[in-house]
Amino acid sequence: MFKLNLKIALRNLWRNKSITAINIGGLAIALAAFLILMIYVTYETTFDKDNPNYNHIYLVGRKSSAFQTNFTPPSLSKEIKANFPEVEAAGTIKHNFFEFAINKDANTVFAKKHIFIEYEAAKILNIKPEHGLTQPAGDEFIFYLNKPYMETLFPGKKDDKPEMVSLGSKSAGHTGKISGVIQTDAHSNIDFDVLTVVKELGKGENYGYNNYFTYIQVKPGTDIALLTKKIEKMYRANTAKAFGEPDWKEINSVNVFLDPLKNLHLRPTAGTDTNYKVVLAISVLGLLMLVIACINFTNLSIAQAAKRAKEVGVKKVMGVFRYQLVFQFITEILIQCIVAGGVALILAELILPAFNSLFEINLNIWHNNTAIFWQLPAIIMGITLIAGIYPALVLSGFRPALVLKGNFQTSRQSYWLKNSLLVFQFAVAVIFIVGLFIINSQLKYMRTQDVGFKAEQVVAVKNMAFFTDPKVFEPVREKIMQIPGVKSVTVANAIPDGSKLGKNGYTAEGKKETLGFLDVDFDYFETLGISLKEGRFFNRAFKSDTVNSAILNESAVAKYGLVNPIGKTIRGCSMDYKIVGVIKDFKSEGFENAVEPTIYSLNNPCGNAKLEILIKIEAQQMSAALEGLKRQWSSINKLDGDHFRYQFLDELYGRLFKKQEQLQAIFFVAAMLTVFIAVLGLFAFAKYVTNARNKEIAVRKVLGATDLQILKLLNSSFFVIVLIANLLGWPLAYLLTKKWLETFAYRADMPVTPFVLSALITMGLSLLTVSIQASKSVKAKPVDALKYE
Amino acid sequence: MIKLENIEKYYANKGVKNYVLRHVTTQINKGEFVSIMGPSGAGKSTLLNIMGMLEEPTYGSYFFNEEDVTHLGERKKIELYRNHIGFVFQAYHLIDEMTVYENIEAPLLYKNVSSGERKSRIADLLDRFNIVAKKDLFPNQLSGGQQQLVGIARALAAQPAIILADEPTGNLQSVQAEEIMELFKKLNREDGITIVQVTHSEKNAGYGNRIITIEDGVIKEDLKIG
Ligand SMILES: Nc1ncnc2c1ncn2[C@@H]1O[C@H](COP(=O)(O)OP(=O)(O)OP(=O)(O)O)[C@@H](O)[C@H]1O
Ligand SMILES: [Mg+2]
Repeated sequence: MFKLNLKIALRNLWRNKSITAINIGGLAIALAAFLILMIYVTYETTFDKDNPNYNHIYLVGRKSSAFQTNFTPPSLSKEIKANFPEVEAAGTIKHNFFEFAINKDANTVFAKKHIFIEYEAAKILNIKPEHGLTQPAGDEFIFYLNKPYMETLFPGKKDDKPEMVSLGSKSAGHTGKISGVIQTDAHSNIDFDVLTVVKELGKGENYGYNNYFTYIQVKPGTDIALLTKKIEKMYRANTAKAFGEPDWKEINSVNVFLDPLKNLHLRPTAGTDTNYKVVLAISVLGLLMLVIACINFTNLSIAQAAKRAKEVGVKKVMGVFRYQLVFQFITEILIQCIVAGGVALILAELILPAFNSLFEINLNIWHNNTAIFWQLPAIIMGITLIAGIYPALVLSGFRPALVLKGNFQTSRQSYWLKNSLLVFQFAVAVIFIVGLFIINSQLKYMRTQDVGFKAEQVVAVKNMAFFTDPKVFEPVREKIMQIPGVKSVTVANAIPDGSKLGKNGYTAEGKKETLGFLDVDFDYFETLGISLKEGRFFNRAFKSDTVNSAILNESAVAKYGLVNPIGKTIRGCSMDYKIVGVIKDFKSEGFENAVEPTIYSLNNPCGNAKLEILIKIEAQQMSAALEGLKRQWSSINKLDGDHFRYQFLDELYGRLFKKQEQLQAIFFVAAMLTVFIAVLGLFAFAKYVTNARNKEIAVRKVLGATDLQILKLLNSSFFVIVLIANLLGWPLAYLLTKKWLETFAYRADMPVTPFVLSALITMGLSLLTVSIQASKSVKAKPVDALKYE
Repeated sequence: MIKLENIEKYYANKGVKNYVLRHVTTQINKGEFVSIMGPSGAGKSTLLNIMGMLEEPTYGSYFFNEEDVTHLGERKKIELYRNHIGFVFQAYHLIDEMTVYENIEAPLLYKNVSSGERKSRIADLLDRFNIVAKKDLFPNQLSGGQQQLVGIARALAAQPAIILADEPTGNLQSVQAEEIMELFKKLNREDGITIVQVTHSEKNAGYGNRIITIEDGVIKEDLKIG
């Protein structure tokens, strides 16, 4: 009995090969997309999840109305541990902010993501050196390399004995001891290539030295809100103690927060939750794809109803229970779903490499998600039920007295449902098409808009020598300038690649505001081609420029409401600056954030070290100049080392568009897929509808209708469906894309063309699809259709 | 075997009752071969459907084997379908995706007849109807008459006590029709199967032993023959 049903099912599927292929193919594609997206979402939402104390680890941060930061003073962790018994462990981490070379004989690697970590923090964060975590004694530094570095420096090393290396420039003569190899985990918030474990970080540094991340692990059941309050109270009291005359108003404006480890990757308090939203959007997208595929399935299965009606009627008068029929139809759908699942896995394997390179990750269906072994079957069962229950009920519910009469018409019954499902599919397709075009227009806007500076032909050099004092940099600049093709050279504490500026309070005309500060050197604005609005740039001719001259950008001037700012005084970091110039705003942080009101100066005691060397080079002499720099680098910049390493600024800046480009790619694929699946559905649906109307077509032809009239007749109902889908899709697409555009401080106007295009595309495709189907019936000789009366 | 008491059936359309059957009272005994005749639209099919419990009457009662089956639940109805009633249709209604053999086997599968018993019964039917050579063909590979033979074989497979046939030869040419009628007659005579058929042909009706004529939903004539 089951065997017979299975046989019938297979024969049925085989007889309607094209429809079956459409059904299975559409589902497989959607399922593949869903799988990949789910693997990605799982990956993104499970950072550090294998940490045994995942739910009890928090990062301590500070926030006020002006800032949100994870940077805390070094002593905080010890104070927390000492005062609050509910805190099981506490420790700090410090990120090294420059890259340095590690050399052994002729081999060199660069530590790009070096972090210092306290032993206790390493324990909290489940850091695992290959031979176990050992506690450093006293002031000992235990230095670990990741495996690839170790293999580069010591090829063929078999034992696990420590090794000596030289650090930084060889001539500087620093040495260090490598204790061993450490496992790194890209799937963790603690991302490093080289790690130094110490007993205590920031000894002797106090409040004000906010350069450390403080991690705590609490005992299960701790009241986090209460603990936060307690830590805040202690933090404020200790801050007050550290400064002679405490400014209580300022101190009390700072709040402490505890950011759970599980939020750190996607939605840190001190950062954006854009990634979280993207992951959320991707989950919805994946589900939508699946829903559309299910709809296709439901629709096609119902469309087949007319063909199966007779079978149902006959079986019922043979004495078959309804539930047996339901079971039979569900089985048929299950078979298709299982095949689709298999095809989906193959597709996913094929697509994954492209997805990985787009998102710069390394996902694998089998490794990242062992749960897939039960998830996929569960999803397949789920789809079978969702897509199958309704058709199964409709089909099994046919009354034999009606269907066996012979001229049974199913189309009426579920007409409304089938059409609304089709409308839904096309509406989703419309949303994706509109979305895609609007993302395109915003990206085009970002690529063609003037960003206020010229990143082209500017080289950002990696450097670890401090050039905070212009006098120290001057000889380096002179040497670089001698290389043919170099137009200008400067150094600063940040480059315009989207990095956030340090912030500080400044007072002008009695008004105190928080400004971003950028510490620069001579020729900074010239190197970047930034426009002057009034006053002048920094200039060696003015001795005071290295002492207390400042330049503001337009936004800063506007923030204070300064009129005629040139010559006025602005006070910050306990010193008075004289404003010598105002520059036009430039978008150093890309298009998402408004330009930060910023102060530029050469001398800033509260600033950060100037490490970022920027060199503007003549386009024609680019390669020669880079060659020259490479050759002479160790003599030009002795403190840095033996390796000239650089990046092109326009590439660094271009990386700010990466996220949008990823989104664009995803939308492109999603739009293609949804349109494809919708058209598949329409194709199959049109096939059934025209088949069902074969007789009507024949009769009309006999009555004298032309082919064109009949094509029009057949197309008109689908035309209405697609039109309604557009009308429904547009407002939703408008709202969603508007929301998205609003995440940009600088954005393109909402264009109209995407809406028109979506209508043209969907209508054109449906016209084509239906006409191809219909033309077969139209061309057929009327006698053939009328013969079987 | 079948007892209809005061059966009425109407379809309400915009509040207007359109009577299809009125005051139909009759009885069909075991072993009879009844033909229902009458003009088109008279209500013949409706009456047959009520006998087959495919439709329920609006008023009246229906007794099948002395049991009131006027309003019957699915479970009970299916039990009757499986064991007592066989249907034959004008349009044959074979399942297109099944071979001749499988079509005949289907009702037995639903009855949970053992596989040995199934094989022997089907072999017997195929043999009797002279369609052994066709057993692996699909319905669309058969002539109309052959399809109807399979349809009847299927109806007989479950060994029903009564066969209800709505214009079983309506789609067939006269030679094939005669063949089917002979078969019915034989089944009735030799196997004692009760047969109720709807037909337009006097000649076909002549194969049976009773003719009920309906006009406008009312029994006009009830004639025993032969
Ligand atoms: N579902 C329905 N709704 C309304 N009226 C119906 C319905 N089914 C049948 N009828 C009406 O009932 C009447 C009897 O129909 P029935 O099919 O029983 O006729 P018949 O005697 O079998 O005719 P024919 O010889 O043409 O098959 C017809 O007038 C028909 O219009
Ligand atoms: Mg009839």
